[in-house]
Amino acid sequence: MLRIDEGSTRHWLLRLLGFAVITFIVVWVPTQMSSSRIGQFTDAFILMIAAMSLNLVLGFTGQISIGHSAFFGIGGYTAAILIKDHGWSPGYTFYAAAVVAFVVGCVVALPALRIRGIYLALVTLAVAVLFPTLVRWKKLAWLTDGSMGMDSVRYEDVPVWPILGELKGREGRAVFMFWLGLIVVVATYLVCRGIVKSRFGRALVAIRDNETAAAVMGVNLTTTKVLVFGVSAALCALGGVLSTLKSGVITPDGQYVTLLGSIVFLLVMIVGGAGTLWGPIIGGLVYVWLDNTTRDIGTSDSGILGTLFGWADQSPATLILGVVLVIIMFAAPYGLVGLAKRLSRKVVVIIPKPTPYGLFGAIRRALEKLFRSRSQPAGTSTPS
Amino acid sequence: MERFFQYLFDGLSLGSIYALLALGLVVVFRGTGHLNFAQGEMAMICTFVVWQFNDWGVPLVLSIILGMIVGFALGAGVEATIIRGVAKKSQAGVFVVSIALFLGLNSLAAMIWGSLPPEQLPGLFPDEPDDFQRIFGAVWRYEYIGVLAVALVLMGLLFLLFAKTKFGLAMRAVASNPESARLAGIPTGIVLASSWGIAGAMGALSGTLWGGIVGELNAGLMFTVFIYASAAATLGGFDSPGGAVIAGLTIGVGEQFLAGYFPGWIGQEMKLSAALLTIFVVLLVKPSGLFGSTKVERV
Amino acid sequence: MSLLEVRALSAGYGPVEVLHGIDLDVDHGEMVVILGANGAGKTTTMRAVSGTIGRSGSVTFDGVDITRTNAEKLVGMGIAHVPQGRGTFPDLTVMDNLRVGAYARSGGIAADIDRWFAVFPRLAERRDQRAGSLSGGEQQMLAIARALMSHPKLLLCDEPSLGLAPLITQEVFEVLKKLNAEEGLSVLLVEQNANLALKVAQRVYLLETGTVVASGSAAQIASDDAIRKAYLGA
Repeated sequence: MLRIDEGSTRHWLLRLLGFAVITFIVVWVPTQMSSSRIGQFTDAFILMIAAMSLNLVLGFTGQISIGHSAFFGIGGYTAAILIKDHGWSPGYTFYAAAVVAFVVGCVVALPALRIRGIYLALVTLAVAVLFPTLVRWKKLAWLTDGSMGMDSVRYEDVPVWPILGELKGREGRAVFMFWLGLIVVVATYLVCRGIVKSRFGRALVAIRDNETAAAVMGVNLTTTKVLVFGVSAALCALGGVLSTLKSGVITPDGQYVTLLGSIVFLLVMIVGGAGTLWGPIIGGLVYVWLDNTTRDIGTSDSGILGTLFGWADQSPATLILGVVLVIIMFAAPYGLVGLAKRLSRKVVVIIPKPTPYGLFGAIRRALEKLFRSRSQPAGTSTPS
Repeated sequence: MERFFQYLFDGLSLGSIYALLALGLVVVFRGTGHLNFAQGEMAMICTFVVWQFNDWGVPLVLSIILGMIVGFALGAGVEATIIRGVAKKSQAGVFVVSIALFLGLNSLAAMIWGSLPPEQLPGLFPDEPDDFQRIFGAVWRYEYIGVLAVALVLMGLLFLLFAKTKFGLAMRAVASNPESARLAGIPTGIVLASSWGIAGAMGALSGTLWGGIVGELNAGLMFTVFIYASAAATLGGFDSPGGAVIAGLTIGVGEQFLAGYFPGWIGQEMKLSAALLTIFVVLLVKPSGLFGSTKVERV
Repeated sequence: MSLLEVRALSAGYGPVEVLHGIDLDVDHGEMVVILGANGAGKTTTMRAVSGTIGRSGSVTFDGVDITRTNAEKLVGMGIAHVPQGRGTFPDLTVMDNLRVGAYARSGGIAADIDRWFAVFPRLAERRDQRAGSLSGGEQQMLAIARALMSHPKLLLCDEPSLGLAPLITQEVFEVLKKLNAEEGLSVLLVEQNANLALKVAQRVYLLETGTVVASGSAAQIASDDAIRKAYLGA
């Protein structure tokens, strides 16, 4: 078993290795794979964003929500309306969608302040069910085009970006969407990471573990919960915008706009590992892979699954998903990331250092030494 | 005035179906502390089972009884194996597993029966166009009266079970304090499984009644009913069986009124949304539902 | 042969072993008390005996080995456990609590209910009240009455004085002493309140960090200065 000190050279080498692998994959996919494969990765990105947003509220703050499909839909519809009816350039709709969703998220959070557990789950359920029906409402058809949904929501011409150069046609669009999606995923990840590692993030976990204790320790429950819901909604909306731009349409029955979407986000998050930063990312990849692999089952008679399910006319894809989920809950209740962490601990252990590390840490320590020698007697250490 | 009674009767009958399913949710929650997200789908698949028995020539009433037995077995079996197993590992996992059940059962039903043309489940009660009774000028169809009657009888039986029988006492004890129940010699495992079993049986009946009214049978049969039932359980308070029944009936009647008196604004498409919004508002005022008990937390 | 024989009992929670192989006996008609400070393992001992947690070693009751027996079966065999914190059913009425106590029994229970209402008149007054709304002392009495509804041969009582006012505690102990003296009910008691316990019990075990450090008759332990100073606060 390898024991590596946090912050040491070996640790940085390990990280560099990980970074290199990811970079390799990220460059290889859009340049070497078919556009449908690239599209699948973009699908995964969309799921990752939505799952990461849900993770903030559920994984880190412990507030149950099966209503995020509504935020996803709000994002998509905001983008659609702005692009189609008001001629906005698609890039800016990301920001607009985030703002709108933030506001709605804060409003939805209000009952969360008083309602616990199961009731909250059902309120969010109601929100998820309400959203598509509201969109279909005759009285709102002037805004949403009702059941027909909105189409032609896309970049007229694929923008020209440095490095990528000009991208033409379907393949070009697919590649562009991949890179756009990747940027949004990375941005979302950085936001989530920033939140989680901050004081606000610790307040979230405190709320998750014991609300009363958190309140007694000075965490403002109201502000914290409302804010995190708002941020989560905003991030989820980004996923909605991305999805709409990719497919070009949004309808009230659209992918992830209905309650089923909330369920998928939840599953992706849990399968990957709730309460971890990388969980939703792994979860998104696994889900898309699983979805694509099981999609064709039932239509061909070959193989084990063909023999098992040959008599069915419908694809048993969802059934298999259900079974896989149950198995994962038994085998890896903390998700795949949790499982990976447990397994990797047998191979490599990172020993945390008590003082801040890295370049930033080095500067901090130097500064501390400077001031300490003037104001404090030597021998005392400041808590990190 | 006839409209008022029309909406009232229709609402009571439909509401009693929501109430049945909601009772299932409440029984499971009180007994085991979990939300059975698959309650509707379990009901749906049992309804298909009832149809299947009937299609094979078994008389309808017997088919329904068999279907309820299957429902009980399904619920108890799921609890004893999957739910209990996962609950040991993670509480959140139980919710995920019930979602997995939701997906799995739905898919299974579509696979086994889905390719059949929309089948008619023969109504339990005479349902020719002229089978109704006029009361206060409103039309109350026999099948609606029948639905309400059957539902009320079953709910009554359930209440008797809880309040008067030894086993009902055991169920209430386990719901109140599982560890002490074990020390008092109550077979907690059997009680837990029975909670889910009862919910399964109630669901089967709810599905059959609903299927009889709707006429069409497909995998999506119970989804909206499940939403209504969850709304009813939430409104009534998840630990109050009486509350669930009253809430279920109220929602049934309420939505008829909302849809009937405001056809332009609400109408049929928006009545579910209107119901949900009302509950939203109620929860802001009474966070544990109308009849739920507010748990005072002692720190 | 004692009513309850415990040999080399070890138990714990997860990876932490709390009891390290203790021996104890409770004879027919005896009242035995386990004393010790917080964290000594007293409640763990009770739980291990009643099978609520996993254990190794051997537990024999009335000649029958119950080491592998499920907790739910013990009531039928004659062991009733009143857990720490009383363990009443807060949502059930006082009457229902008592009925639950008799769950494992068959036959009429009306006579028993009347009897316990006579012993605990305050419970009779509140028979239809939710148990959760009773005071701590009343809940303790209810818990004991509930346990006794099953006609046990051995009563396991975990810290009955916890959270109770001194007067109420005394009442509770008097009832226990009476039952022990007049009916021959064997009692295994766990207590932190040493003074009170020593007055009612016949034999004492002193537990410290999971092992028995002293045992003897109540008189012996009470008069031993060294033990008094070390464990009972002089």
